Amino acid sequence: MGLRVGVDTGGTFTDLCAWDEEAGTLHVHKISSTPDDPSRAILDGVEQLLHKAGGRLISDVTYFAHGTTVGTNTLLTGTGVPTGLITTLGFRDLLELGRGRRPDMYDPQADKATPLVPRSLRREVHERVRFDGSVAVQLDVDEVRRTVRELKDAGVRAIAVCFLYSYLRPDHEQEVAQIITEEFPEAYVSLSSVVLPEFREYERLSTVVTNAFVGPVVDRYLSRLRDQLASRGLLVVPRVTQSNGGVIPFSMAERIPVRLVLSGPSTGVVGAAEICLLAGHPEIITFDMGGTSSDVSLVRHGEPQVTAGMELDGRPIRAPMLDIHTVGAGGGSIAWIDSGEHLRVGPQSAGANPGPACYGVGLEPSVTDANVALHLLNPEYLLNGEMPISEEASKKALGTIGDRLGLDVQQTALGILRVVTANMARAIRVVSVQRGYDPRDYALVPFGGAGPLHASRLARELGMTRIVVPQTPGAQSALGLLMTDVRTDFMRTQITAFDPSDPAPINAVLQALSGEADAWFDAEGSAPEDRHQVRRLEMRYRGQNFELPIDLDSAQQLDAAALEEVLDHFHAAHERVYGYASPGDPVEIVTYRVQAVGRADRVDVSRKDPEIGSADEALVAHRDIYLSEPRGFVRCPVYDRALLRHGAELAGPAVIEQMDTTTVLLPGDNCRVDAHRNLVIDVGGTDE
Amino acid sequence: MSDTRDTILIEVVSSALASIVEEMSETLVKAAFSPNIKERRDCTASLFDAEGQAIAQDEGGSPLHLGSLMGIVKAIRERHAEDAISEGDVFIGNDPYTGGGSHLPDIVLASPIYVDGQLTAWAATLAHHADFGDRGHAHIYQEAIRIPPVHLVRRGVLQEELLQLILLNCQIPTERLADLNAQQAAIRTAVDRYLEICARYGRATMRDVGRELLDYTERRTRAAIAAFPDGRYEFTDRFDCPELEGELELPITVTVAGDEITFDFTGAPPQVRASVNVVWTGLFAACYYTLKTLIDPDIPPNAGLYRPVTIVAPQGSILNCEEPAAVNGRSETCQRVVDLIQGALASALPKRVTAAANGANTGVHFSGWDPFRKRNFVYLETIGGGSGARYNKDGLDGVQVHMTNTSNLPVESLESEYPLTVESYELIGDSGGLGQHRGGLGIRRTVRAETNDVHFWLDTSRQFSKPWGLFGGGPGDSARCALSEGAQPVVRGYTVLRSGDSASIETAGAGGYGDPALRDPALVEQDLAAGKISAATAAAYRNAGRISAPE
Repeated sequence: MGLRVGVDTGGTFTDLCAWDEEAGTLHVHKISSTPDDPSRAILDGVEQLLHKAGGRLISDVTYFAHGTTVGTNTLLTGTGVPTGLITTLGFRDLLELGRGRRPDMYDPQADKATPLVPRSLRREVHERVRFDGSVAVQLDVDEVRRTVRELKDAGVRAIAVCFLYSYLRPDHEQEVAQIITEEFPEAYVSLSSVVLPEFREYERLSTVVTNAFVGPVVDRYLSRLRDQLASRGLLVVPRVTQSNGGVIPFSMAERIPVRLVLSGPSTGVVGAAEICLLAGHPEIITFDMGGTSSDVSLVRHGEPQVTAGMELDGRPIRAPMLDIHTVGAGGGSIAWIDSGEHLRVGPQSAGANPGPACYGVGLEPSVTDANVALHLLNPEYLLNGEMPISEEASKKALGTIGDRLGLDVQQTALGILRVVTANMARAIRVVSVQRGYDPRDYALVPFGGAGPLHASRLARELGMTRIVVPQTPGAQSALGLLMTDVRTDFMRTQITAFDPSDPAPINAVLQALSGEADAWFDAEGSAPEDRHQVRRLEMRYRGQNFELPIDLDSAQQLDAAALEEVLDHFHAAHERVYGYASPGDPVEIVTYRVQAVGRADRVDVSRKDPEIGSADEALVAHRDIYLSEPRGFVRCPVYDRALLRHGAELAGPAVIEQMDTTTVLLPGDNCRVDAHRNLVIDVGGTDE
Repeated sequence: MSDTRDTILIEVVSSALASIVEEMSETLVKAAFSPNIKERRDCTASLFDAEGQAIAQDEGGSPLHLGSLMGIVKAIRERHAEDAISEGDVFIGNDPYTGGGSHLPDIVLASPIYVDGQLTAWAATLAHHADFGDRGHAHIYQEAIRIPPVHLVRRGVLQEELLQLILLNCQIPTERLADLNAQQAAIRTAVDRYLEICARYGRATMRDVGRELLDYTERRTRAAIAAFPDGRYEFTDRFDCPELEGELELPITVTVAGDEITFDFTGAPPQVRASVNVVWTGLFAACYYTLKTLIDPDIPPNAGLYRPVTIVAPQGSILNCEEPAAVNGRSETCQRVVDLIQGALASALPKRVTAAANGANTGVHFSGWDPFRKRNFVYLETIGGGSGARYNKDGLDGVQVHMTNTSNLPVESLESEYPLTVESYELIGDSGGLGQHRGGLGIRRTVRAETNDVHFWLDTSRQFSKPWGLFGGGPGDSARCALSEGAQPVVRGYTVLRSGDSASIETAGAGGYGDPALRDPALVEQDLAAGKISAATAAAYRNAGRISAPE
């Protein structure tokens, strides 16, 4: 038995987790990230973690998974490779025209995203496929050959190819790929029919261009890290997370790197889903609050929800990903007063530099300063005493806006918390009520540095009655890396009239995709008993243009009865999301999806602690905390999370501190530590 | 609420109201059937207080739509006695003269929201139903069926006969029915959510918060206007549309006095026998939209913005038309109103305004019988163009400007639904005005008919004049429409295409800002390499630089 290691690189910290399979113990480590070369923090961190785990060797590591933001950062900083684009004649400007909308209706200063391929490197060739897949204009191969040479001479390192209707007929794109292989074999090539065989040309184009632009960078990063880890003695194949919340080997990630781009927050959600399912909470809303933003996501029946794409920095990216909504509200969000004399919070953030006023450099009040002034955060130090802070600096910063509002420091601080809570509640409504789910049916699962600090207020705002705080909220993403499956997605757009009496065409497409998934399992080396396929149809009423995903229950051939059931599910889903259904109207399938899931033998966190804990053994101090009811400072108990054991029961108001997180219980909240060391909080229900 | 100035509570409730209109709009777009709504998002959503003042509006919605909704609640209440309005009602209307949108394709649905038996708020959606093709625009009776605000649903019961009457007057009734269902679904969502919030905060608090939200917007608006230099600012521009011969002159006088502002269009030409007349709600919407962009894009869009503003336009003029003037193409005119205001205020607010945008809301309409799919079709697209250069940077190339921000229809969706093929969709080099900051480029979109008898109607502007530059910047290029050889020419914006004919629609570029001699030579070279300017234009920039360069 060995050691399973997860390493999550974030903007500020690199979090590491090791699970000792023999001892059944978890080791957590945190180290500052090294953005100029993320591998430095990873290698140093792994060394320190192994030391912490009892002086183990890297060759003891039996599983290594990595979450990285290298793809995201490459995009956000525009540091991909020079990229060329080949399109159908007449459409090279589509990359710039997009869907025609300007970025902000009312702000004349707003700019569109700069195209990742400049106009001079966007080339058109003669070819045209029609909407029915027939060829109207044959590909001009001589022109393609000339074009590839020109792009090579122009110094591009990657070429994206996107033709109209390539999802129906990829032949022309494949011919171009062949020519590139002949003329310019060292180029990184991305075909839209490979990266995203789905309709809507602009979204497909934007995705394939993004893939080409970041591809070589991700490629270089992963292969270098793989070599470094191997040279230090890592024996297993390292894996990396994708935006769908699953992991794949580094070598596979290099093929469609765009699927990594939004992977950052995904493993935290996967880990939370897993931990909460085990603890008996299959329906949760995750709330990951960091320094500059919060990510929220809904988990149903223990399964994170997936979506087919989103926009990053004004550029659409279509790739299977967890449905995570981000809002610019974090601990560093700055409070300010607008021209109508209203208190506002964010989206400007003090970030890590200058940081909240209490760090001693910045002068503007942030959400963290509000928590310090109310003593919800320890007013003297953070990070287990490693980081001294100044309450006076927080109060001074708060005073600057409090004077204008006519409020004292504490009232100002409470106001900031109410406004930021409203902003976060709005984000949660997006992933719940806007998708047809009532947040009151879900438990709130806070993590990230600041999640547990704000959860009780947020739950009240949304009428949620249950909060589950996992054991290591500050390292949730790294822990999640140890709980995720190996998974990848296969999809095809083929608009099909949904006729239950004729299952053959539907089975044919699903079977073809299943075949691709099986081939992938073979390459991945999954044992037959670990293989699992999740099949999904994206359906709509004929004439609509947004599809609803309908899961298929079994991996079997579908017969008429099974299809009738699928149709019922579709009508029900439509009713839930849009408030009506039209049984009898024609329905069609737009996209078929098969997700290949290889069960990794995951960390077993199902071990239950004996029920012997009590609150008293974890009580370490008392602190005056400012509450709105009764208005004023109240002496409250402070508990050490590390000393809380199964069975301990705590009542609010109280504060629970751990290395990088503080959990706040408001008056009326009751908390119990469960057998997996989660804090399970029953929310008092009264408004704070 | 103990303290009506509990600004923090107001922020909290305001967030919740914003969530509601956002969700309404998402529901509408996703449940809709017609490409114009589901793909192009040509629709909007609003919440009103009991008196009909807008308290929350969908920020993604078209400003012209938001303005169009201004009068809807008032019109309903004027037409229906208090006891004829009740819970479970849905009103439908589209007539600009009796309370609806600002042109007939915009169909409004509105419902009262009752809390504790009291009428407390209204929810409304507006969607542009792309229908009513090929009917003419001499007067409003030609343009579509006119619907005053009447009950579509009375106490929860659908008024079947009215619905049948409306659908019989539509070219694509199945789409209309489905889209109306989507609008109703959005309204149901709003009612449910509003009641949830009321259950939490209570009716009285919601009423107070609504009032304070309007006061808050008013305060911010007044504070911003007070910072404008006082004065009287005049401007005129030339306006054309394919349906009219020659050009019209549109004048404006803007007066800033303390924290109030007046937009005076005295001298506007009389209404015309063409589609470009504007009803007052359209004109007001254009003024409010422009003011918001000049003040602060972040101001919550509600009726508080209207209070410090006075708008004057002669009755029966093209900018304040009377029945039976046709109004279908009113957005062309509204777009120009925005340019007019910016032109007038350029000297006062040189860093807030932009040079003239492409000056149109180019609408292309194709309709007829689709022999492949055996059905009627009406395809509408509005094509963006250049956006005006700014004091510190170039204008945006090829975007929707000013009062509209609809999406284009993907080619792969368009060709699968209609007997049309898109041959190209591209930027037009050299169409942006010269300047230290270049005007945005116009768009060329070429569409080919795949069947005979395709009726084509173009509504656009700036075919004669050019979008002006500011402070030494040059004008953008004009708009035009070229047909393939042998096609019947476009007369008064209209023609019939045969199979194989194509129409190439070019929208105008936008005006430049500042002396071209001051343009960064690196940007000139970059534009040249990208083909956004020609070698000749690059040379013109270099010469301008040389001439004005000191010895």
